[in-house]
Amino acid sequence: MKIRWNPIVKKDLKVAVRSMRLSWGLFGYEAVLAVTFLLAVQIIQSQNGVFAPVTRNLYSYLVYLFPVIAVVQVCIVGVYMPVITASSISGEKERQTFDIMLTTCMSPFSIVFGKVMSAVLRILFFVAASLPIMALSFVVGGLSWRNLFYFLAALILFSVFAGSVGILSSALCRKSVSAVLLAFGIYLVIFGGTFVPWMGRMIIDSDKMGESLLPLLFNPILFFEEFFAHMMMGESLFGTQGYRFSVRETGLVTHLLSRDSVWMFVSGGCILALSFLFMGIAAYKVNPLHAGAGRSGKKQGRNA
Amino acid sequence: MLYISHLTKFYGSFPAVQDLNLHIPEGDLFGFVGPNGAGKTTTIRIVCGLLRASQGSVRIAGTQAGAGSREMKRLIGYVPDFFGVYDNLKVREYMEMYGSMYGMYPREIAKLTGDLLELVNLADKKDVYVDTLSRGMKQRLCVARALLHNPKLLVLDEPNSGLDPRARVEMKELLKNLHSMGKTILISSHILSELSQMCSSIGIMNGGRLVTAGKIEDILQQAAGGVQIHIQVVSGMEQAVRLMKEQAAVVVESVRENELIILHRGTDQELCRLIGDLIANQVVLTGFHREEGDLETLFLQLTGGAQ
Repeated sequence: MKIRWNPIVKKDLKVAVRSMRLSWGLFGYEAVLAVTFLLAVQIIQSQNGVFAPVTRNLYSYLVYLFPVIAVVQVCIVGVYMPVITASSISGEKERQTFDIMLTTCMSPFSIVFGKVMSAVLRILFFVAASLPIMALSFVVGGLSWRNLFYFLAALILFSVFAGSVGILSSALCRKSVSAVLLAFGIYLVIFGGTFVPWMGRMIIDSDKMGESLLPLLFNPILFFEEFFAHMMMGESLFGTQGYRFSVRETGLVTHLLSRDSVWMFVSGGCILALSFLFMGIAAYKVNPLHAGAGRSGKKQGRNA
Repeated sequence: MLYISHLTKFYGSFPAVQDLNLHIPEGDLFGFVGPNGAGKTTTIRIVCGLLRASQGSVRIAGTQAGAGSREMKRLIGYVPDFFGVYDNLKVREYMEMYGSMYGMYPREIAKLTGDLLELVNLADKKDVYVDTLSRGMKQRLCVARALLHNPKLLVLDEPNSGLDPRARVEMKELLKNLHSMGKTILISSHILSELSQMCSSIGIMNGGRLVTAGKIEDILQQAAGGVQIHIQVVSGMEQAVRLMKEQAAVVVESVRENELIILHRGTDQELCRLIGDLIANQVVLTGFHREEGDLETLFLQLTGGAQ
C-alpha cells in the first residue's frame, strides 16, 4: 500500500525548499550552532583548573558540549516553530487561499495537522544539517549515538508542541503578527504559569507541596531539565535514589511520578496530549461550520 | 440540483439573508444578481459550506449542506471572488495539490489536469509558476481547479471582478462552454449585463431578500405584465385594433400610423393564432416583433435604483 502524504505537507515543503528563506534559515541555524560550539570549547579550555584540578582530563569536560549545543537547538526550535506555524493559517487567510482549502475534502484537523507537520519537517532539515556539529560533541564528549536518537525524539516532541502553540494562535488571530505575539504569550503562560501553583504552595508551607508540582508535567522546561539530567548524569530533579518526595511531602501522584525517569515519560505524554488539544482547538476554530462561527461577523455582514 | 429553503443568516442582529427560497435545476446556468451587500456572497458561502446558516436548509443533489461532509464537498466546485496563489508552485503542481486534497490519485490528476487546462486554454502554461500568470489566467486556472473533482455544481462568486474586457469575454465563453456540457453553474455578479448575456435563469437579490427568480424572459414578462408585441400594419389598422380589443389576453398599448403596439399575456401559440386572425380579417401586415425586455430597468425597479 502506498502511503499518501498530507497534501498540505507536500505543498508547504515544495514551496519552502524553493524559497531562499530556507537557505538563509539553514545558514543562520548552522552559524549559531557553530559559534556556540566554538565558544563552549573556548570556555571549557579556559576554565580548566578553575573548577577542578588540572590533573583531571580536559576531555571529560567536553561531554558538556552536548547539552550546550542541544539546549541552543531547543531554544532555536522553540522560537522558530511558533513563528512558522503562527503565520501559516493566518498567512493562508491573508493570501485568500484558506476558503478554497476548506471547500476541499480535507477536514479542518487535517489542515491544521498538515501545517504543524510541514513545520516539524522543515525543522528536521535544520536538525539534520546540524548533525555534523552535534557529532563533534559526540566524538570529543563521549556520548553514545543512542543519546542522539533520544535527543532527536525529544526535539521532535518539542517541535510538535511549539508548532501546536503557533497553529492555535494562527487560528485565533487574523493577522500573522498578532498570531506570533499570541504564541509567545501562550509560551509565557505554559513556561511560567505552571510554576505558579507550586510557588504559591511553597510560600504557604514549604514542607507540604501537595500535588502542586503536577501542572509542571506540561512544562517543556522541566521536561528537558529531566531529559538532560538523566542523559548526562543519570539523575533527576527528583533525586537519584528513586523516591525523593515522600507521600506526606507531596501527595501520592507526585510521589509515584518522582521515581526514576517516570516524570520525564509522563511529562512527554502530557506535552504531546496538550499539543493535540491545541491542534484540536485550532481545527475547531478554523471550521466555519462550528457552533460559534459567524456569530460576531459584523465585518462580513457589511460585505454580505 | 440545488434547493435552498427558508435560508436566513444573521450577523449579530444584522440580517444578511432573509427567508431565501430557490431551486436551481440540473444543467442550469443561474445568475445571482444584486447590488453590493445584497446577500449574494453570504448565500454562496453558505451553499459552499463556508458559513453556517442561522435558519433554513440547503440541499445539493439530495445531500444536506452545512454538515461539512466529504460527500457534500465533492459535489461543489467553488471559485471565490478574490483568491491568492502560492509563490514557487507551478500550474501542474497547483492542480496536483488540490486534486490530492479531494483524495484523487496522481495518475488520475495528471490526466484530468491536461484535459482541464486544455479546456481553460492554459495547456501551454502547465510548467509555468502560478504567480506569474495574469489575473484572467489565474481566474481560469481557478475554474479548472474547481472542476478537477468533477463537481455536480460549480459556484462562482463574482468571477469577473478585476478582469480586463478580454479576460471577461474569455471567462464568459468558458462558462457558456461548461453550460453546454451540462454543468450546473451558479454565478454571482453585481453587473447585470454580464449575466443576462450568458445565464438561462437569474435571481435578483436586494437587502438580503430574493426579489425575483426564474428564466430571464419569464421575469421580464411577469414584471411587464406580458410580452410587448410591435405589429407593422400597412392597411386595416381600425380592423386590427378592434380585433385586438376583443381579445381578453391583449391590451392595446399604442396605435401609431403604421404600427400597433400590444401587450400580450398569453402563450406563444395564442399569439400565433392572433396574428393569423389579423391576416384572415384582411389586415395587411409587413411584420411583427417581440420587444426585448429591458432587464436593467427591471433590476433598477426591483432594487430601488442600486447597482
